[in-house]
Amino acid sequence: MKKTLALLLALTMVFALVTSQAAFADDEITLDVIICQYGPNTNEWFLGKGMNGTNFVDKFEAENPGIKLNLDVVSWNDVYTEVDTRIANNNAPDILNIDVFANYANEGLLMPVKDYCPDDLFEDFFPQFIAQSVIDDTVWAVPDLASARALFYNVDMLEEVGVEVPTTWAELEDVSQAIIDYYGGEVYPWGIDLTTDEGQAAFAYYTWGNGGGFVDADGNWAVNSAENVEGINFALGLIQKGYTNPNPATQTRYDLQDMFAAGKMAMVIAPNQLPTYVADKGGNINMATAGIPANEGKTGSSVGVMDRVMAFKDDSAPDQAKRNEAIGKFLKFFYDPENYVGWVSMEGFLPAVNSAVEALVASDPSFEAWLDVLGTCQFYPAAKAEWDQVKQGVIAAEQAALTGADIQTELDNLQAALVG
Amino acid sequence: MNSPLNRHKWEPYVWLLPSILLIAVFVVFPILIVFKLSFSEISKAGVIGGYIGFQNYKDAVSLPAFKTVMLNTFWWVLSVVGISTLLGFIIALVFNQKFHGRKIARAILVFPWATSLVIQASVWNYIIKYEYGSLNSVLLNLGIIKQAINWRSSYQIEFIWECGVGIFVTVPFVAFCVLSGLQSIDGSLYEAATVDGAGFWSKLFRITLPMVRPSLTVSTVLNIIYVFNSFPIVYTMTKGAPANKTDTMITYLYMLSFYERRKGPATALSVIGFLILCACAGIYMVTVMRKEEEQ
Repeated sequence: MKKTLALLLALTMVFALVTSQAAFADDEITLDVIICQYGPNTNEWFLGKGMNGTNFVDKFEAENPGIKLNLDVVSWNDVYTEVDTRIANNNAPDILNIDVFANYANEGLLMPVKDYCPDDLFEDFFPQFIAQSVIDDTVWAVPDLASARALFYNVDMLEEVGVEVPTTWAELEDVSQAIIDYYGGEVYPWGIDLTTDEGQAAFAYYTWGNGGGFVDADGNWAVNSAENVEGINFALGLIQKGYTNPNPATQTRYDLQDMFAAGKMAMVIAPNQLPTYVADKGGNINMATAGIPANEGKTGSSVGVMDRVMAFKDDSAPDQAKRNEAIGKFLKFFYDPENYVGWVSMEGFLPAVNSAVEALVASDPSFEAWLDVLGTCQFYPAAKAEWDQVKQGVIAAEQAALTGADIQTELDNLQAALVG
Repeated sequence: MNSPLNRHKWEPYVWLLPSILLIAVFVVFPILIVFKLSFSEISKAGVIGGYIGFQNYKDAVSLPAFKTVMLNTFWWVLSVVGISTLLGFIIALVFNQKFHGRKIARAILVFPWATSLVIQASVWNYIIKYEYGSLNSVLLNLGIIKQAINWRSSYQIEFIWECGVGIFVTVPFVAFCVLSGLQSIDGSLYEAATVDGAGFWSKLFRITLPMVRPSLTVSTVLNIIYVFNSFPIVYTMTKGAPANKTDTMITYLYMLSFYERRKGPATALSVIGFLILCACAGIYMVTVMRKEEEQ
């Protein structure tokens, strides 16, 4: 009896194995997807129950039979390591959500977007966003979301001191001095983050606000321009005069946001999610936004930060057309307003497609002002191959200048390293 | 059938096989891969290219921050291992005395060592924070200082803080190593020495130190390896900022690899670090073996 049972069990297992293999062979395609963790809700939305009781993967698989998603949500701290390791082992994901793309595109690892993105969806992206992912006239990635930076100020504090929000650098210094005089050093007038995480943003604020920037008008690296040196020297001057947080090389933007939320900082440049951040921290700050101050006679511009979705080549895939179609379906599903609006608003980001705007503005009217900001902001030159080097290079130059080095020399060295 | 004698010969190897396999797969193999990578071209996206000789090593030693980082690493290891060995030894001497609450004191001593380094470093970050750090609030409330002090006013001071945290978490390990050595010393030795008129210092230098030397050697060599390879304290407290002035070799090669995406030189640096540690471990092995031979 026992023997018969065992035999039956073994046969059942063999049968199950064969049928599952058959099911696997039956035209099913599996996409490896890596999504970055934007906040505590990301994982819930993609894999848990954060999408009205269900999740992205289950809903997608139900609506797209024959396509399975092997989706990982990876923290920003680990994603570069994870992706690099997978590339080194010839196991790149099919779809990747990350900020950078130039290295992958330059090394021939990515597929052009036109190979897999349906035309109607492609037309839906904001054109100025798409333009940020072009190398040699080919679009290599699509934007998944964006955020824009602006100056946030503590309205009550500025009123109490009796000053207006500054629009120029000279006004910024005057207002800062007035705040110092009034509060006697209890409040930092201005926040600066020159940390390894985001020192490149500070570089953008002070060089773009002085008519400089990472590149010149022709798009060539120009990190050591006179405008840049003047801009960074202005920022260093703010630190030396005691208008800012005291340790800008180690105090991250989150530290500054915490100080702002605690009423210890009067003005800070931050992304559009700051009000949510402050509320989450239990802060109750009467805040408003304004443009980032620029040098006299120059126009300040907001800094846009954009992340991307891209698809890797996979020469081993048996049916390339089918794989491309599956990736297209993934994108269609992701950017479908029914799903996408929830995703963008959940973490407080700004959308990358036109079709989401209406619903987002309806849910939160403050989005409209931010969408205007987004239309005018500048982006990092992330499409250039040397961007990683430039990003770390300007941070190192700023930090070296903090310890007494000459910023002109530091930026000259960086420029020399870039143009060979 | 094998004779019992024959079986006796191969049996130890069978028992060792699982650990040998594990070490081969998880230690030796990755080391070999890193050696190979350090002689290969590695692209920014991580694609591994062909053999390029010593180019990665040349790039690594000609990096502008290389000298600073090596010097920092030297001071980091020397100060953390040196001072924690001294303090650990003194604490072990105290804890070897009989006093009320000795067991509790010993248990408390384990805490800094048993807590994760990231947590330790984050907690210290909060303690010395200028704006709402607990050190400033305690001193202000006690009236010791009138105004909050910026405890991290320069990178030199920040580096000293990092070394301080390193020492704080390393002392317990040394103390326990030495304590185990102290407990194995026969009390009659001290009694005999006392009868012969030896004082505290001569007992310390002629009995205690020679007897605990093996434990001290073990703790020192292990600490050199741990501290050299320690990543969390520096990374959590400063990330090497400003401009690599507080980086040690391990944090620097991580930043080089994953922030600047220069994996070639980073791999070469990690091989250099490995060789330095091998040299340290080699000196230790030779000394210990010599001692054993003498005995």
